[in-house]
Amino acid sequence: MKEARIDVSSTEIITKDLSKTYDDTVRAVNNLSLKIPGNTIYALLGPNGAGKTSTISMLTTMTKPTSGSAMVAGYDIVQQADRVRKQIGVTFQEIVLDPDLSGRESLIFHARLYGLEKTERQKRAGELLKLMELEDAADRKTKTYSGGMKRRLELARGLITGPSVLFLDEPTQGLDPQNRTNIWDYIRDLKASNNMTVLLTTHYMEEAEALADRVGIMDKGEIIIEGTPRELVDQMGADNIQITGTGNKDSFEERCKSLKYVQSVNSTNGLIQIGVDSGNRRLVELIELANKSNYSIEDVSVSKPSLDDVFLKYTGRQLRDK
Amino acid sequence: MKSTILLWQKQMKKAIVHPEEIVGMLIQPILWVILFGVGMRSMMSTSPGNSNEDYMTFVIPGIIALTAVGAAITGGSTWLNERLNGIVKEYLAAPIPRISILMGNATSSVSKVLIQVLVILIVGLFMGARLSDNPIGWLGGFLLIAGFGIGFSGFALSVASSTDSSEGYHMMIFLLQLPLLFLSNSLYPLESLPTWMRIGAYLNPTTYVVTGFRQITLDSVPSMGPMANIPLWLCFTVTFGFAVLGMYLALKAFKKSIK
Repeated sequence: MKEARIDVSSTEIITKDLSKTYDDTVRAVNNLSLKIPGNTIYALLGPNGAGKTSTISMLTTMTKPTSGSAMVAGYDIVQQADRVRKQIGVTFQEIVLDPDLSGRESLIFHARLYGLEKTERQKRAGELLKLMELEDAADRKTKTYSGGMKRRLELARGLITGPSVLFLDEPTQGLDPQNRTNIWDYIRDLKASNNMTVLLTTHYMEEAEALADRVGIMDKGEIIIEGTPRELVDQMGADNIQITGTGNKDSFEERCKSLKYVQSVNSTNGLIQIGVDSGNRRLVELIELANKSNYSIEDVSVSKPSLDDVFLKYTGRQLRDK
Repeated sequence: MKSTILLWQKQMKKAIVHPEEIVGMLIQPILWVILFGVGMRSMMSTSPGNSNEDYMTFVIPGIIALTAVGAAITGGSTWLNERLNGIVKEYLAAPIPRISILMGNATSSVSKVLIQVLVILIVGLFMGARLSDNPIGWLGGFLLIAGFGIGFSGFALSVASSTDSSEGYHMMIFLLQLPLLFLSNSLYPLESLPTWMRIGAYLNPTTYVVTGFRQITLDSVPSMGPMANIPLWLCFTVTFGFAVLGMYLALKAFKKSIK
């Protein structure tokens, strides 16, 4: 049984009614059932305390589920925990680096924990330090590193064992926006060149939108809704096109209302708000229509609903405390 | 086993890069022997039937036990730090047995102690302690101290796994450390103790470690007194039982901490 690896073809992570309860009362993860296909970046998006880290802890075999089961890279996370560990790479929410080791030493030590041969681990450490642009700092102790460098080193560490599934718990927490987009680029490149599945957690909506092939929105230990970022946002329906201008405003508004794809027309203080099925597609048509109506547009903008709005729709709350 | 060695290496390397730790590690036992050993000796030798050499030979194993406890406490402190700043997570996610993570810590504490034991023995010799003629006995003594070090490391690691506060850890360890050292014949002969303390000493593994050490490593049987006439096999059995118990408690507390 312990040797058996179930062929899951393209599905790298499957959970079935996975639950985690702390101290018999706090239900951090509640009957989570997920299917994450191979070679994708999947983002668990949700506020702090939604159960994202607990989910990662179980999937990375750090803690045992209270009930339910899960398979990672074809192995059961409880029965075959050791095999799961060999297949995965992990970075944690907080920065977990030994301050007294250099960047290179950290990578080599990690590779040795996983039993990589000497020539192999030195080669890979060198490659990853180069990839993460840490060559110059490679032999300095990590306590001299900046926050962004530490995160990059942790990414390198997660990758040095060549995992088929990479778990990133809040990979950009505590980084400034520039470093954050940097890390996003690395993650995208890595996934593209390594053929692996990435499961990341984040409470940054932008991060899920920028990185993920699929997003699961999580709240109170449950996945509320999941899909591609596009699907999630599109099912919010109407885009908003906002127009200001001069000329025959009434005629333009009347003509707009008669169009099939226009869902609503509101005019306040000279600003016309038009709800349409797809903002990007209809923008040009509406501009032409304005010209025909002798209404000259001065300013126009399309606003898309965001994952924040999706979260708001399903939980009645904003994703981030404002 | 491989992973224990790896984690041991890491801890040893971290000690080497901090010269202040090495210096302290080497000077501390010297101070113990000179200040404590000599001071106690002058007091003890005023009582009849004791010579200077006898007490120095007698107290060396006690100082060694004290040093071993100190190193285990430092090891536990390192473990608490690694737990609190998350470094333990890296070990937890890796395909290595949980016990090897704890053994890496305990064996590195023991390695440091064995270096200190060497220093203590050398300084002790200068101060008049008498070593046994049998080199195999010296090795046996090192083995006893290693077992004792692993055992107390286990206790320290289990306390360090059960608390999230450094103050709490040191308080708890203090409570463990005092009876373990002083409720034994490590610093004074069993004969000199009141009965209730003597019973406590017989229940204390330290008594067996120290008595075994005196029998095979040092030439101090005459100074021990007839009450410490414990067979060697029992000394070894108790010591290794203590080592296994300590690591068992550490593993249990560690597993509980990651639930």
